[in-house]
Amino acid sequence: MKMAAETETGKGEVEWEVKIPEKKLKDRLFFENLKAMVIDTQMCSRCLTCVSICPSELIVNEEDIVDFPNYEDKCLDCGACVRVCPRYDYKPKSGLGDYIEFTAGQSKRFKGQDGAMGTEFIFSAIDMGLIDRGLFVDRDEQWRTSVFHVRGKEQLEKLPLGGTKYVFADILPELKKAVMFSKVGVGVVGTPCMVSGVRKLQEEYPVFREKVKLVIGLFCTENFHYNEVSKYLIEKGVDFSKLIKTDIMKGKFVATMTDKEVKFKVSQLTSILPSGCNVCTDFTAVESDVSVGSVGSVAGF
Amino acid sequence: MKKVGTPEYDLSDKLKYHVSALSTAAKEMALPLNITTHYPRERKRQPDCFRGYMLFDPERCISCFQCSFVCPANAIWMKDAPSGRYYPTVDYGKCIFCHFCIDSCPGGALRTTKIHDVAYKTMDEMFTSTEEMIEPPEIIREDVGVVDYVIDKEDLSLKRTKEKDELIVDVEPSQGVPMVSVCVDRGSCLACKVCDMICESGAVSSVVDEAAMTVKMAIDAEKCTGCGLCVKECSMQILRLVRK
Repeated sequence: MKMAAETETGKGEVEWEVKIPEKKLKDRLFFENLKAMVIDTQMCSRCLTCVSICPSELIVNEEDIVDFPNYEDKCLDCGACVRVCPRYDYKPKSGLGDYIEFTAGQSKRFKGQDGAMGTEFIFSAIDMGLIDRGLFVDRDEQWRTSVFHVRGKEQLEKLPLGGTKYVFADILPELKKAVMFSKVGVGVVGTPCMVSGVRKLQEEYPVFREKVKLVIGLFCTENFHYNEVSKYLIEKGVDFSKLIKTDIMKGKFVATMTDKEVKFKVSQLTSILPSGCNVCTDFTAVESDVSVGSVGSVAGF
Repeated sequence: MKKVGTPEYDLSDKLKYHVSALSTAAKEMALPLNITTHYPRERKRQPDCFRGYMLFDPERCISCFQCSFVCPANAIWMKDAPSGRYYPTVDYGKCIFCHFCIDSCPGGALRTTKIHDVAYKTMDEMFTSTEEMIEPPEIIREDVGVVDYVIDKEDLSLKRTKEKDELIVDVEPSQGVPMVSVCVDRGSCLACKVCDMICESGAVSSVVDEAAMTVKMAIDAEKCTGCGLCVKECSMQILRLVRK
């Protein structure tokens, strides 16, 4: 509250300057720039960083397409969406990046593969007092995703349903809420594009730099959108009410149900693969603090 | 264990207390001392700052929601008016008459009256709409006199006067604590200019400098009324109200 103290003594005008980004298309709104450069060129990974930062809260992820209805009237033209979009000035990242060590690990508390490790990291950070809020992805019986805030150990018992969902979740809009509520710090688990979005937010805005303390990236081959993937899987004979888990193993998509298994080659899913995933080369979430994934590890981990 | 029983008096004590009781009874018979106000035939004279029924002046309201925000009983709802503004309504079923709303109103749109008999027959009637708050309410008055309590040394007595007390008083709107909005994290400002758009008093300004690619934001502490609208609207929650 140093600045507050400053204004208390020094009366009169308080001024500050905010830099605005360059418009690639002059004389157009910033959202139009974003739409032309990212959304219409099919570069958009739908990480929803723009949705989280938009001050008018009118950028929406409707039917799995990022859109701003009535942007001609409603856009405030602040440029925040362009400032944070990881794909606006896209420099593809790949490889492992700088790392301290890589190791195989298993959680004692949680059952599962990489997702359980993500959960373990978040809970350990809460136990250590590093963060006071963690974000997880929950799912309902129809495998629709929602975001779940974890604030302490007592929530261990009613943990969300585990298992890879292969479906995007609106993590980043929730991250902004968590940052506003959090007093210590926030931990978040996300796909590589979401991690890039978080880093971009941190680069631009000190409040995120201060509060987002743990960013866990998940190894990501591709991720789908609920409407498309659910339609496809129902066609393949998957009954969502009986579905236990989904996985990609040895080039095959496996959906395990209580009574049977549905298997098909991953290459068949390319028809519903989001276009933004085609340009992405970041498998390991290079920019994250910790990347977790079970590719290439020994059986049992 | 401690026992509680009747105190032990000797004969002289008993005699003394009996005489005292009898003399009080005799005094009351000759000159009865009655300090009860005979409401509704009389009303107690209240001070001008009495916390009673509230009146509302839409001309002064800037729709800042401060009254509903500060209300500890959640009695104030903001309802949208035809003019596109939001005005308060009070549910007297919940109101605890703390008048924090009046004290916190930056424009002085709410004011108090000396009406204390805010009583209705049904719960629905207790909900007071904005229109009902603009004009003083119709009250059935049976009172013919005003009662003043006079404290003389250690004795309390009543002074009855035959007059009708004016219940609607002109009180200067409370100034409250002068507050001013400041930005505590200028680096996180989005320059969305919402604060500028929402500000009623023109204290916040934003100037876009196309050439330098910057937006100059400024808050004029002199003009700021401390209504807190910008603080509530700021999407990054980086504005705070501090004492002027």
